[in-house]
Amino acid sequence: MYNTLIRNIIRFVALVIMQVLVFDNIGFGNYIHPTIYVLFMLILPFDFSKVRLLINGFLIGMAVDIFSGTPGLNAAATVFLAFLRPYVIKLTTRQSDLEGKNCPTVSEMGLQWFSVYAILLLLLHNLVYFWLEAFSIKLLGLILIETLLSSIASLLILLLTIYLFKPIKK
Amino acid sequence: MYNLFIFIKKYHAVIIFILLEVLCIIMIVQSLPYQNRKMVNWSNNIAGGISKTTSNWYDYLNLKCENEALVQQNALLLSRLACDDVEADTACYDDVFTYIPAHVINNSIYEANNFIIIDKGKVDGIEPEMGVIGDNGVVGKVLNVSNHYASVMSLLNSYSVISCRFADNQYVANVVWDNGSYRYGLVKDIPSHLIINIGDTLVTSGFSNSFPADVLVGTIEENMSTSNDMFGTAKLKFSTNFSTLRHVYVVKNNYRAEIDSLCITH
Repeated sequence: MYNTLIRNIIRFVALVIMQVLVFDNIGFGNYIHPTIYVLFMLILPFDFSKVRLLINGFLIGMAVDIFSGTPGLNAAATVFLAFLRPYVIKLTTRQSDLEGKNCPTVSEMGLQWFSVYAILLLLLHNLVYFWLEAFSIKLLGLILIETLLSSIASLLILLLTIYLFKPIKK
Repeated sequence: MYNLFIFIKKYHAVIIFILLEVLCIIMIVQSLPYQNRKMVNWSNNIAGGISKTTSNWYDYLNLKCENEALVQQNALLLSRLACDDVEADTACYDDVFTYIPAHVINNSIYEANNFIIIDKGKVDGIEPEMGVIGDNGVVGKVLNVSNHYASVMSLLNSYSVISCRFADNQYVANVVWDNGSYRYGLVKDIPSHLIINIGDTLVTSGFSNSFPADVLVGTIEENMSTSNDMFGTAKLKFSTNFSTLRHVYVVKNNYRAEIDSLCITH
């Protein structure tokens, strides 16, 4: 129990630091803004209640927002992600697949499933993020391009991060 | 009540989700200037459209009352025409001022600074600083003009000052508003030797280029000056009822540019 809590706190802090100190400062071109801290939300255990997910999403979003000076922007997107996470899991798995599984990670669920699951949630997260950033429906084309490119870039960096910190045992 | 609890219990996650999103969006709109501007723009557009529509309906529903009021005003004007004591220079006086009728489409009376939006603008010849009068008297001055609309600073505004005079003895004073009730204003700078009677009528002085002389402003309700004041102050009841304002006339001074060109030399 405490083990999970401490591990989650370390993940939270590490990912926020990585996001605001490293990835927010790298220029990937005009359209790409990778969101790495989302990994924290993606790999929270399956048995987290919806309310716990929402509160966790709000907290990590606000933590990133405070550092990047955009109060509410990341939080709104992450709360949206947290709300839809249970539905995306339900959509991409069968009930029997989840037996004996704790967290939706690469090592437990496999690379293929995790990629589909992560890209779906990243697309939703980035769509809200870039829409709120543009705050206009007229810029829809730009929002969609940004969402697509950023989601793909984020997924690649997420997978690299996962393999870097947690090599899969064979 | 029990059903409400059941509802909350069943959908508590959705409710918390909506609350958090609303909180986030409020923070975004309050702290990020670009999003704030967008939001204000958007809400202005929506509110303007709704005001216009409700105003249309309201006008339709009040057609009967409006008709009666117009008939009464017509009768009054006709009776004035019929009177023998129409001054000889009335005709040339009419030459100075033209009246542009307009509809009130948005009106506030409870703010500290109240504004009225009317449905005539630059296209109809409205310019800033023009006076606005209603059926019963002075309403305010035009502040900003867009192509089809204009905003009017009503008398119910802390920046509004109207130059007036007492109808019976021609002494000049200023009418301002003290953020109180929408029915009452203040008359300031009354010469201290003047005896103020309750019920005295104040009309426009005609010294500002915005209003013709002798348009009704209001009547004295209460004398508020003390004996050692330099200038007297009195409470004034506006003749215009701002809460029911629908039709107004914008006063256009045809010789304004000429008069202003003289004023510059001061």
